[in-house]
Amino acid sequence: MIKQATYIKAYCSIQNNKIDLNGTSVFKTGECLFVDFAKAAYRNFELNYPKFFKMDNLSKLAFLAAELLLKNELETDRDIALLLSNKSSSLDTDIKFQESINNQENYFPSPAVFVYTLPNICMGEISIRHNLKSENTFFIFEEFNPGFMSNYTNVLLCTNRAEEVLCGWVEYYKDTYRAFLYIVTTTFGIPHDATTIQTLFNK
Amino acid sequence: MNKGVAITGMGIISAIGNTVEENLISLLNNKVAISTIDNISTIHKDSIKVAEIKKTNQELVNELQLPEENNYSRTAMLGAIAAKQAMADAGITDINEYRTGIVSSTSVGGMDMTERYYYEYFKDESCLKYVSSHDGGATAQTIADELGLKGMVTTISTACSSAANAIMFGARLIKAKKLDRVIVGGTDALAKFTINGFKTLMILSDTDNTPFDNDRKGLNLGEAAAYLVLESDELVQKEHKRVLAYVSGYGNANDAFHQTASSENGEGAFLAMQKAMKVAGLEPAQIDYINAHGTATPNNDLSEGRAMLRIFGKHVPDFSSTKPFTGHTLAAAAAIEAVYSILALQNNIVFPNLNFKTPMSEFDLVPQAVLKHKPIQHVLSNSFGFGGNCSTLIFSKSE
Repeated sequence: MIKQATYIKAYCSIQNNKIDLNGTSVFKTGECLFVDFAKAAYRNFELNYPKFFKMDNLSKLAFLAAELLLKNELETDRDIALLLSNKSSSLDTDIKFQESINNQENYFPSPAVFVYTLPNICMGEISIRHNLKSENTFFIFEEFNPGFMSNYTNVLLCTNRAEEVLCGWVEYYKDTYRAFLYIVTTTFGIPHDATTIQTLFNK
Repeated sequence: MNKGVAITGMGIISAIGNTVEENLISLLNNKVAISTIDNISTIHKDSIKVAEIKKTNQELVNELQLPEENNYSRTAMLGAIAAKQAMADAGITDINEYRTGIVSSTSVGGMDMTERYYYEYFKDESCLKYVSSHDGGATAQTIADELGLKGMVTTISTACSSAANAIMFGARLIKAKKLDRVIVGGTDALAKFTINGFKTLMILSDTDNTPFDNDRKGLNLGEAAAYLVLESDELVQKEHKRVLAYVSGYGNANDAFHQTASSENGEGAFLAMQKAMKVAGLEPAQIDYINAHGTATPNNDLSEGRAMLRIFGKHVPDFSSTKPFTGHTLAAAAAIEAVYSILALQNNIVFPNLNFKTPMSEFDLVPQAVLKHKPIQHVLSNSFGFGGNCSTLIFSKSE
């Protein structure tokens, strides 16, 4: 493995009904549920992707952040790996599914809900949207793990597994959410290391 | 070409046989195992056909000499039986003598037991023991414990490509010299969870499955377990091991199309086959037989067929799906088909794609419908899973 410098090309944070892109606020709403905030953001950025409305909240959150980071990437067949992480896996949707089968007399297990009972489905949604047939992995950690993430990203880039990596944290549980996604590349941007991504995450 | 990683042992239990030899006899004699279901009480009993191992859980408990109060799932018991066979076949007596690991795959895990008590857990403490054997990782750990393995234990669950990814990961662990030998494969027992899930997706056939046939109606679920033993070249030389075949190529790709369905043009399948041939250093013309995924769902066979045409053009090698014999055994499918691919290499045979009558209207691909004898050097085996997780393995003759 040839070690080479890696850079953060762009980053996006979503929390508290507010979206920041590269440190600048690009969208916010007043107090509302995430589902309404997500719908407002979808309309604001004119995303035009009706499948968005079928997604669970974790997927909507990851999708929105990815959309803002990738929407200007017009080339096709980009080899962008996905490396995401969170704390609560898909538990928010798992519980909704469990509630739908909880009553022995009155139950309705919906395949449309069931398909979202895995955290990596949100990476699938991003892959489908942006036609990414690249490496992808989802890790579960107690908290954002910049050391692990930066190391894993550098291995992907320095062993030519991908040209760029879309990485970060996408956490959703019971209406508390946080997305922090960023693209790492070998060409230009903010020098990429664990300290920097932790600092950007904390903003 | 690249020689790949040596396979020194294999074990299998499926609906068509409890050993490698029994499976071969069934494959050679068109002995299929699609039947009505006996071991699970389900309201779909009369409307579906499955490939079931006709042993009760109690018989499996007795075979493994487990204490009566065990919490083993059927998935773990089938896995333990097949993994023990593979160990014995490889002549391994002291499993911890070298750096040894297990990469085991499953999709259903311990669900065959936990689903029975779903509404009981808060009322009856005695069934709580099954909670700890529920997850996929517990299945791999149980098998490792049965083998007495103290080394690396890990689990792969990528739906129907699981065992292919387990074999691929194991081969990479050997190549990277992380392990000296590794037991790789998968296990899945029939469960209401999978029966009802696939029923909801409306891809279960009420008749015997008919892969690559224009009138195919869907799949029959099956249950099975199979494991291979992979060993490093150094260990093979040192211990003068008999090599059954080599894992020469592998590839995994993302179809990026839909949560469950495969893309129309089989992009993921195409990429997986392409990657596997690159790893093996083989040209398409060198593949003698394709053991297809061939689930007999309208979607899979069309997508896989198109991908084969894209790779092989006008010269698609002999291909067949063995799922009319075994049903679709989900996370175990790629492992049992790895055993069948090795048997094809050893015996120079193409297994028949049973139940085929009418070619598909979309293309003129015709599977090998009867048993065929011919020299076979390289077998390509496909396994594609929900989530667009497509994997291909290539097995090559040991010479």
